[in-house]
Amino acid sequence: MAAPAHSDTTRSDIVVELAGVYKTFRQRQRSEKLSEALSGLIHPRFREVRALQDINLTIHRGEIVAYAGPNGAGKSTTVKLLSSVLSPDAGLIRVLGMDPIRDRARYVNHIGVVFGQRTELWWDHPVAASFEWKRVVWDIPDERYRRMLGVVTELLGLGEFFNSLVRELSLGQKMRADLGLALIHEPEILFLDEPTIGLDVLAKRNVLQFIKDLNRPSTGSGQAVTVMVTSHDMSDLEQLAGRIVLIDKGRIAFDGDFERLRSQFTSRRHLLIETPDGVAPVFDHAALVKSEAGRHEYIFDAARVNISDLLAQAAAQTPILDVETHRESIDDVIADIYEKWQGRKT
Amino acid sequence: MWRLYARMDFLMLTRSMRLFLTWYLSDTLLNVAAVAAAFLLAERFDGIGPWSKYQVLFLLGYSTLVRGVLETFFSYNVLYISRRIGRGQLDHILIQPQPIWMTLLTEGFLPLSLSGVLMLGLGLTAWAGLNLGLSLSPAWLALFALNLAASCAVVVAFSYLWGSLAFWAPRAAEEISTPLVYMVYSLKAFPLDGLPLPMLGGLLSIVPIGFVAWFPCRALLGLDDSPLGGFITPLAALALGALAIWAFSKGLKQYGRTGSQRYHPLGHRS
Repeated sequence: MAAPAHSDTTRSDIVVELAGVYKTFRQRQRSEKLSEALSGLIHPRFREVRALQDINLTIHRGEIVAYAGPNGAGKSTTVKLLSSVLSPDAGLIRVLGMDPIRDRARYVNHIGVVFGQRTELWWDHPVAASFEWKRVVWDIPDERYRRMLGVVTELLGLGEFFNSLVRELSLGQKMRADLGLALIHEPEILFLDEPTIGLDVLAKRNVLQFIKDLNRPSTGSGQAVTVMVTSHDMSDLEQLAGRIVLIDKGRIAFDGDFERLRSQFTSRRHLLIETPDGVAPVFDHAALVKSEAGRHEYIFDAARVNISDLLAQAAAQTPILDVETHRESIDDVIADIYEKWQGRKT
Repeated sequence: MWRLYARMDFLMLTRSMRLFLTWYLSDTLLNVAAVAAAFLLAERFDGIGPWSKYQVLFLLGYSTLVRGVLETFFSYNVLYISRRIGRGQLDHILIQPQPIWMTLLTEGFLPLSLSGVLMLGLGLTAWAGLNLGLSLSPAWLALFALNLAASCAVVVAFSYLWGSLAFWAPRAAEEISTPLVYMVYSLKAFPLDGLPLPMLGGLLSIVPIGFVAWFPCRALLGLDDSPLGGFITPLAALALGALAIWAFSKGLKQYGRTGSQRYHPLGHRS
């Protein structure tokens, strides 16, 4: 496949560029039958898994991009391609003007990577030792090291466990330390693969806030860090990113902001009505979801029904004490989209 | 880079007096146990085959030295490379901004916690050498250093050659380097003279245990008539090293295509 034309990502505002990227894995198929198990030794059967198909994606400097999709959609494969760990079967990958595989040693100096379920920290050493290790291996100048250590220690609250052994830390503390370590060399781009997985609510909030802070130009060197983040938690991603790229079966299915995602995939709204007598009004085009202590929740399609019509219908049936409407949560929107993609819902 | 890892090693060992003492006590016991069999055999029978007692002890010292160098420089599973490959831990090496060979040459350096074997090997070799009345000329010392480096290279190359199988079969070959290196360690200190030629050929090619201590010690102790005997082990190391680099490079390309679906979570160096 011919390499597509590309822009010069060193000088342009575009820092990440994937053009026509394909990645296929072969999965060995195994049988539970003894006869087939033996014949499989001589004639193994494989299934091709198309992890990525014709991925075209650009990320601009300073953007926070949420990269989401159902399990096996190709999220981690993309992060590995961008982290010099995997090479594409076809297509072009340029990050900061460099080829992640060909220019690996130079390239990884400019990026930070955090794999949510893997740690870069030295297991049997205090957190501080991993930072010192990184300072030497990455050859970080003293001034930059001291400045960034101050920034990450303050923003991530590393001080309380900086001298504790890594294996004695909680999951949240390890993730904070890993995030700090990924940033200590002041990368221009940060790839985060499931950074909030397994974290409790408080730890998650701290990590999300830190990523947002990073993206403020006033932090660190004064240049906003470009972030690409994958997560299964959509509300996390919505808090964090201005743009969401959804992939499904290795293809980009949506690329835009969360608002557009909502409006494109669902026009459902929730309506909450509180009545004094506990009687739930009945509507032609809104379904009652639940009714509890005089509060009644309905779901309706805002593209088909006007909310003022619903309120007029309700007022004609019973006195109304209070009214609330809200949009579908992003988790529900995404769950619907995944269901549609899996063909369970039309 | 070695200074960094030496510092980390020192800090780890001196974390507490209890750790420090326990570590060295168990290390001493392990090291004594490792050389006891060959030592007692040499003492009891006043040598093994054509080798005198002190020649056997020199062989034992040299082979212990080889093990000591390997454990000091290639710890954290750098020597048992199939573990790192099979456990999907190469990713951590790939995201470091330096050539892979540099990471592999430096990351496993533990000069304090694992240098007990090295010290034991040095002591045994020196003691046997003194009793053998060896004349330590600069040329002999250079040949000794060359052979020692070559013997270590043979073991590393042997482990990497077979360990590269883990690129294609991560689960089945995850531990392949381990028994191979253990086999080398357990057989390295015995003289191979008198073995049938096919078996000896096998121990100098397929399983190159002969190059770990026996062959270089023959040259160093003047038991080999050939004037080029002292250069056979370095040549074997070059040949085996080239083969290992070829296999490992092929494997790395395969890793770039497939990555790893497996991962061992408890710290990627364990």
